[in-house]
Amino acid sequence: MSAVLTHQPPAPTVEVTDAVKRYRDGRREIVAVDRLTLAVDAGSLLAVTGPSGSGKTTLLGILGGLITPTSGDARICGRSVVRLRDHHRARWRRAHVGFVLQDLALIDGMTVLENALLPLAPSGGASSADVAQARTRLAHFGLADRVEVKARTLSGGERQRAAIVRALAHDPDVLLLDEPTAHLDQDNVSRVVGMLAELRDAGRTIVVATHDPRLYDAPAVDRAVRLVDGRLG
Amino acid sequence: MSDPVRRRRPSAPRRQVALLDYALGALARRRGRNLAIVVGLAFTTGLFASVLFLTSALTREYTRSIDAAPDVTVQRVVAGRPALIPESEGADLASLRGVRAVHGRVWGYLFLPSIGANVTVIGARGLDAPAGAIDLSVDGVPTASLLPGGRRPRATNEALLGARLAANLGVWTGDRVALPTPSHGFETLVVTGVFTSESAVHTADVALVSEHTARVLLGVPDGLATDLAISLRNPNERSVVARRAALLPGARVLERDGLRRAYALTFGARAGVLAAALLPTLAALLLLAWDRLTGLSAAERREIGILKTIGWETRDVLTARMWESGLVAAAGAALGLIGAYAHVFWFDAAGLSGVIFGWSALYPTLALVPSVGLGQVGAVAGLVIVPFVAISVVPAWRAATLDPDQALRAAA
Ligand SMILES: Nc1ncnc2c1ncn2[C@@H]1O[C@H](COP(=O)(O)OP(=O)(O)OP(=O)(O)O)[C@@H](O)[C@H]1O
Ligand SMILES: [Mg+2]
Repeated sequence: MSAVLTHQPPAPTVEVTDAVKRYRDGRREIVAVDRLTLAVDAGSLLAVTGPSGSGKTTLLGILGGLITPTSGDARICGRSVVRLRDHHRARWRRAHVGFVLQDLALIDGMTVLENALLPLAPSGGASSADVAQARTRLAHFGLADRVEVKARTLSGGERQRAAIVRALAHDPDVLLLDEPTAHLDQDNVSRVVGMLAELRDAGRTIVVATHDPRLYDAPAVDRAVRLVDGRLG
Repeated sequence: MSDPVRRRRPSAPRRQVALLDYALGALARRRGRNLAIVVGLAFTTGLFASVLFLTSALTREYTRSIDAAPDVTVQRVVAGRPALIPESEGADLASLRGVRAVHGRVWGYLFLPSIGANVTVIGARGLDAPAGAIDLSVDGVPTASLLPGGRRPRATNEALLGARLAANLGVWTGDRVALPTPSHGFETLVVTGVFTSESAVHTADVALVSEHTARVLLGVPDGLATDLAISLRNPNERSVVARRAALLPGARVLERDGLRRAYALTFGARAGVLAAALLPTLAALLLLAWDRLTGLSAAERREIGILKTIGWETRDVLTARMWESGLVAAAGAALGLIGAYAHVFWFDAAGLSGVIFGWSALYPTLALVPSVGLGQVGAVAGLVIVPFVAISVVPAWRAATLDPDQALRAAA
C-alpha cells in the first residue's frame, strides 16, 4: 500500500486497553479503574453507567487523555496519548476531544459567548467566523437570548447546553461528558439528549458518564456499559 | 474530519493578544483583589521612588551650586560660630601666586516675620556692570535667568527676588517690598525681576540686592564681609592657597572640591539609610502578595482546571497569568512613580525632606526642580514588576502543572 497516495483519516474514536488507575488516599490504595478495556465505536453515543465511586469520571478522563492511567494504554483517534509530553497531549486533545465536566463548567464572570470562545485563545483567539459559528450554535440550542449575559445568570439546563457548545469550539471528533443531566428537570434532560443525538448524527463520537436513567435509557443511546468497582460489570 | 489545530496555526502575536484579552477579563473579574495589590504596590514603589527622586534632585541642585561656588572660601569662626571677617585680610592672599582675585562677600539670612521664613539676602557686586556681567556667585547661586518683564537691578533700592519668595510676599516685578533692618527700620526696595525656578533651592528664597543694601539689611559694617571668596588662576595652587588662608585668625577654609565630596557623602548616606529602611517594607509587601497569591482561591483553581480541560496548555495558563500580574505590577509601579513625582516635585517631599536635609529649617519651603532619569524609573519599575510577576506565577504554575484531574478535584 502506498502511504504517499492514501490519506487515512484517523478513526474518530477513543479506546482504552487494560487501563488501570490507582489513587493513594493516605495509606489506603484505591483502584478507580481496574484493567479495563473499552473501544468506543466511531460515530456512536455510548453511556457509561454505574454507582457512585465506580470509576465513571476516571474512565472518562482516561479516554480523553485528561487523566494518565497508572498502566495500560489510551488512544485518541488512533494515537496513544499515554506517553505524550504534556503539551503534545494537550494539543492532540484540543484537536480531537471536547470535554464537558460537571465540576468545571462555565466561568461565571464571563459571558456565555466568551465562555464558548475560550478554548480558542491559545491558538490566537476567535476569528469572526468562529464568533458567528458560536452564535449560531448557541442559538440552535436555544440560547439565542443568552449569548451576551454573564454565565452566572444561567439556569442549570442553560449552563449545560452552553458548556456543550464550548466543547465544540475546536470541532472535536469526540465529545466526552460527565453527568450532563445532573440536577436537570425532565424538559432539560430531553433537550440535552436531543442535542447529543444531533451531534452524534453529525458524525461525532460521544461518551457520557452518568447514573441518570433518563439519559442512559434514552433511545438515542447506542450502547450502555456498566461499571462496578472500576470494571465493566 | 479536519484537524482544527493544524488548520489554525496561530501567529505568536495573535496568541499573545488573545491571552492578554483573557487576562484583562480576569483582571476585571478579580478587580477587588487586584486593586488592593495595585494600591499596596503603588505605596511601596512611591516611597522608594520618592527617596530616589529627592536625593537625585538634591544632588543635582548641589552639584550645580557647588560648581558655581568660589574655588576657595574663607570664613571666620569666633567662639565656634561664624563671624564677620575683615576684608583687609584678603589682601595678603591676593598676592599669592595662582590667585586671580579675593573679595569679601556680603550675604546672610534675614528672618521675615510676615511670612515666617528666612530670606537669603545676597549683596551683588557689579550692579553698575553691563547686563550679563552681574555676579551672582555668592554662596554658590548660579546665574539664573529672570522671568519675562524683569531686568537686573541698577540702583541700591532695587532687588531681584526668588520665585518662591516673591510668591510668598505676593509681589511681582515693579512692586515694592519693605525688608526689616537690624535697627528696627525698613528698607523699601523696588522689585526689578523675579528669578525663574531653574535653580530652585538656591534662588527660591533669594533677595539679590546691591552690596550696600545687603550691608544695611544684614547689619554688616563697611570693611567686614560674610566670607572671603578666592578665585584661582591656577587650580593647582588650591591647596597652597588654602593652607595660607587657614593661617588667618579663626579661619575656616572651604574648598570647592571638598564641599562636593561632603555633600555627596551626606546625601548619599542619608538616602542610603532611608532606602535600606524601606527595604523591609518592600519585602513585607512582596510577602503579603506571595501569601495572597500562593493561596490561589478556589475560584482561581477551578478556572485553571477549566482552562486545562478545554485544551489550554500549561504555558498558555502561565502566559495569561503573567499578563495579569504584569499589568497589576505595572499599574502599581506607574501609580507609585507618578505619586512619588508629585510628592517630591509638587508637594516638596513633605515628610521626607526633613530626614534627608538635617537643616531643612533653612529652606522651610523647598521647591525642587523636576528632574527624573529614565534609569531611575526603570530601576524602580524593574524592582517592583519583576519580583512581583515572578512570585505570582509560581502558584499558577503549580496549579497549571497539576494533572487536570487533580486540578479538577482541587476545584471541586
Ligand atoms: N484524584 C483522586 N484521588 C484519590 N481518589 C480518587 C481520585 N479520583 C478518584 N478517586 C477515587 O476513585 C474512585 C472512582 O472515582 P470516580 O470519580 O471515577 O467515580 P464516579 O463513578 O465518577 O463517581 P460519581 O458517580 O460519584 O461521580 C472513587 O473511590 C474516588 O474516591
Ligand atoms: Mg463522577
